[in-house]
Amino acid sequence: MVLDRSPRLDLVFHALAHPARRAIIRQLSGGERNLSELAAPLKMTFPAATKHVRVLEGAKLVRRRVAGREHLCRLEAAPLKEAMLWTEQFRRNWEARFEALDSLLDEMKSEEQSRPRRP
Amino acid sequence: MNQTPSSALKDLQISTPTATTIVLTRTFNAPRRLVWEAMFTPDRMRRWMLPPPGWTLTTCVCEPREGGTLDLAWKSDDADPAMTLRGTFTEVVPHEHAIHTETMALPSGQVVGSLIEKHAFAEEAGSTIMNITQTYDSKDARDGAIASGMDQGLDACYQQLDALLGKSAKGE
Repeated sequence: MVLDRSPRLDLVFHALAHPARRAIIRQLSGGERNLSELAAPLKMTFPAATKHVRVLEGAKLVRRRVAGREHLCRLEAAPLKEAMLWTEQFRRNWEARFEALDSLLDEMKSEEQSRPRRP
Repeated sequence: MNQTPSSALKDLQISTPTATTIVLTRTFNAPRRLVWEAMFTPDRMRRWMLPPPGWTLTTCVCEPREGGTLDLAWKSDDADPAMTLRGTFTEVVPHEHAIHTETMALPSGQVVGSLIEKHAFAEEAGSTIMNITQTYDSKDARDGAIASGMDQGLDACYQQLDALLGKSAKGE
């Protein structure tokens, strides 16, 4: 069960709040990458990219392992799942309402067209 | 390109620009005059408000003018009323925007949540972009509103997420 107040979820949302970190997550969804591979497309310095990776690690979204001289990062999906679940039902409720609203509006438009125009 | 909105344009955008707000943005394939009517006319509202399973909307008063009342009540299989929502319109420019307060309460009088809601309507080539900004009293109240309904449909959520994450793990 996902709790309303979860410091862990706060960390996840904070981690996701930066475009560079979302870009890192996108890269990692393709598989394990080392730090320089992650830094290259971000057009930022290596230390700056490393800082973003650390924030993701803090939120447990990314796990890092050292292999020789390489720091390899991979995505940890579980916290991401939890974060998505948290908003998913809210979204679904509104989507359902707005789909009903779509049909209603279609009806209202045809009602209007079949009615004689006002002078 | 400039024809009727594609399904992509109809996608619901949800954002949380500040700690106490939620913003919903959705495009509708109708002029804003009709979207306004659908949003604020009781007989129309009944059509899209879609209460939770087992619940029925029993009272629906909506007066979109300054000082006008918003008064909704639902009954459930167990209680009548099961929940009330009351508020007042504080700012109204017909077909453009409306701001109202709302407080949801249990029959005991216990307040479940209160917020200020602003609806804004922008018309573009016969379509309407509707923005709903909900401002809650606190971050906790905002987060609680997003988390509400979590009990329903968890399994469906999990399945959808598994499909989604499975897809991204294979490299999009």
